[in-house]
Amino acid sequence: MNAIAIDHLTKIYGSQRSVDDLSLTVGEGSVCGLLGPNGAGKSTTFKCLLALARPTSGTVEVAGAPVTPATFQYLGYVPETSALYEKFTVADHLEATRRAYEMFDPARAAELAATFKLDSKKRVGKLSKGQRTALAIVLAFSIRPRIFVLDEPASGLDPMFQRAVLDLIIDAAAGGASILFSSHQIGQVERAADSIAVLKGGKLVLRGDIDTLKGDEKVVEAIFPGDAPSPNGLAQDPRVRRIERNGRILRVHVTGDADGVVRTIDALSPRTIDVLDLSLEDIFLGAVNDGVA
Amino acid sequence: MGRPVLRTEEFVETSVSARFTVDPRNGVPLYLQLIEQIKRAVALGTLASGEQLPTVKALAVDLTINPNTVARAYRELERDRVIETSPGRGSFVRAGGAAAEAQQAGVDVAAGVLSEAVRESRALGIDASGQRVLFERALARWFPSEERDST
Repeated sequence: MNAIAIDHLTKIYGSQRSVDDLSLTVGEGSVCGLLGPNGAGKSTTFKCLLALARPTSGTVEVAGAPVTPATFQYLGYVPETSALYEKFTVADHLEATRRAYEMFDPARAAELAATFKLDSKKRVGKLSKGQRTALAIVLAFSIRPRIFVLDEPASGLDPMFQRAVLDLIIDAAAGGASILFSSHQIGQVERAADSIAVLKGGKLVLRGDIDTLKGDEKVVEAIFPGDAPSPNGLAQDPRVRRIERNGRILRVHVTGDADGVVRTIDALSPRTIDVLDLSLEDIFLGAVNDGVA
Repeated sequence: MGRPVLRTEEFVETSVSARFTVDPRNGVPLYLQLIEQIKRAVALGTLASGEQLPTVKALAVDLTINPNTVARAYRELERDRVIETSPGRGSFVRAGGAAAEAQQAGVDVAAGVLSEAVRESRALGIDASGQRVLFERALARWFPSEERDST
């Protein structure tokens, strides 16, 4: 069973297709990083997952069932705009959470509040944006959920607290939790997630296991004595994703085995030829920029 | 100012996971980075035969990486007969199997370096027979006392 299943989800706001026919599943025990430029549809996807927005069409399921109030007993979430009460103190929130959630762990809550240096007597109205995010994290992780849906869980936090969030995600994953989270920081995604999904314009443009993507995506870079020639037949090779020529430099993006491409280019007598591994950032940027002229 | 004196309490026992690092910015997949480091540690003997490895969970938390990534590395190391896992006890460096694995890893690294050298030399315009002369010269430098067939 999938922890999270999004099936042909479309959400239209006015004339805006915020999410466009998105299908995405997160398997049990796996951690998926959701990436995409601003306005790609990440937050709308999270809202649909948390039943804060109604899908125009398509369905979302958590733990194999539609989202109902009961779902939240085992679903930890951090919304982008925190659902916190301005006039409640930090302690009030912990108390309200204790009453509402069977699995609430008070010792854990106290430990996490201390980790993020939250003053229990402070009202939410007086908290900074980062402190609100921290409080949402404390609440989410105190109920020991099996599934997490985290929209930008580290946004507005200083680097030390960002690291604490990363540690929490990894610790939860090591305990078998399933997690979907979004982040603008690829480094965080790369550490915490085992797979990524990239959204652009509401559509899924890349989905895959991080290690497999990194293993598969290569750039063959050749430098020629004069202007780089345009290699015949390479554009038709199904493994070639993109060809860039810039003066004496030829760069060919390849998915999968690059040997054939290396031989083709080598026959053109370049001065040097190298096969470069792509970082996740390169792969992400490639997916987002593909199709842009 | 005198020279800093090393006090004995500074020699702390490092855990097995403290010997590994991974670099997410590197294009090499994290599980391959981990496999490479564990193999190297076994080859160099810093991980001794029979030594216990951290659990998947502990290593994931220590390195701040996804536990499935660590599990994948362990699975492949097991398949390559570098480590063995016994249910309930944990993962251990295999006795014996590690030596053959280490030798193969050494051959792979050397082959890669030589191939790179040939490619670079060719890019500099040196043909096969020219390179053969250079290779002989290099051999003579590093194996001065050995008799070789002259061609």
